[in-house]
Amino acid sequence: MTTEWGKWGEWEETKTFVNKVVGVSIGADAVEKGAIRRWLESKQFDCPIYRDEEAAKSAGYKGIVAPVTMAQTFGIGPYWKPSDPLAKAGDEPKQINIPVIFDVPAPCTLSFATDIEVEYFTPMLLGDEIKITSKLLDITHKEMRVGKGAFLRQEDTYTNQNGEVVAISVLTIFRFNPPENVTELKKREH
Amino acid sequence: MDWDHQIYFEDVHIDSIIKPISIPITLQRLVMEAGSNRDFSLMHHDNDVAKITGAPDAFANTFFIMGMFERLVREWMGLKGSLKKIKSLRMTNFNCPGSVVTISGTIVELLEEQSAVVINLAMANQDITTVTAEVTVILPRRI
Repeated sequence: MTTEWGKWGEWEETKTFVNKVVGVSIGADAVEKGAIRRWLESKQFDCPIYRDEEAAKSAGYKGIVAPVTMAQTFGIGPYWKPSDPLAKAGDEPKQINIPVIFDVPAPCTLSFATDIEVEYFTPMLLGDEIKITSKLLDITHKEMRVGKGAFLRQEDTYTNQNGEVVAISVLTIFRFNPPENVTELKKREH
Repeated sequence: MDWDHQIYFEDVHIDSIIKPISIPITLQRLVMEAGSNRDFSLMHHDNDVAKITGAPDAFANTFFIMGMFERLVREWMGLKGSLKKIKSLRMTNFNCPGSVVTISGTIVELLEEQSAVVINLAMANQDITTVTAEVTVILPRRI
């Protein structure tokens, strides 16, 4: 997916963010039955460990669990919370924040995700509160067919209220400038 | 769905096939998905915005794709066993309303020490592959 925005800055600035926490997201709601049911509903997915205490226990869990791929869902913050201003006509709708695009500066106008890898650890139980801590792992410069830029790898660690790791994902984002832009910039320089 | 079955590590061989599942994509399903997975990025429920970004129509998001992969492996393996890892997830085509997607898998590797298997998963619309990924699941042992 290509996005035509992102935080602007020079590569020198981008470098200062490597190995640093670039974003923290606190899940809007704790893990709860209704949210799990609605998530299963849209996939026509039924499985007793996600709704039945006994079934979950006999499968080896402490209680009802959430599907592991719901980690992202439970880690996303609210789209509006009581201390936020009310939306005005013409405001841009809120979208999911990707820190290495929107909070890390780079001299690029476009970006898209090239790869995602997720590993799951501690199961999510009812009542768990999920937090996502994002780190910029590294920057790899490359010239691609779409333009010149760099791969930024964002590592997201999902933890519960006890500090146990629920999941770790690595998202690779290519931030770049299309060749036309570069030509335009050069023209302006001359 | 019968949940009495259970797949054990000993039952699985390289090239074993997972029985495919399929689901029709409708705009209503995409909206239900966005509401329940909390990804309200516009191209997943707003056809006009999706078209501006180059997609033919609103299209299914990664959350839905990963969730359908989880459904496939969960229904296949039974209540015991767990989805451990998803990697090399590549979206090569859009999954838009009007299509009926099929999700299928083939075992490609057995990890004896971890009691795990690696599965190549694919989502397809008719004969067109839309997403591929490699997932690792941990399976219980008979002994």
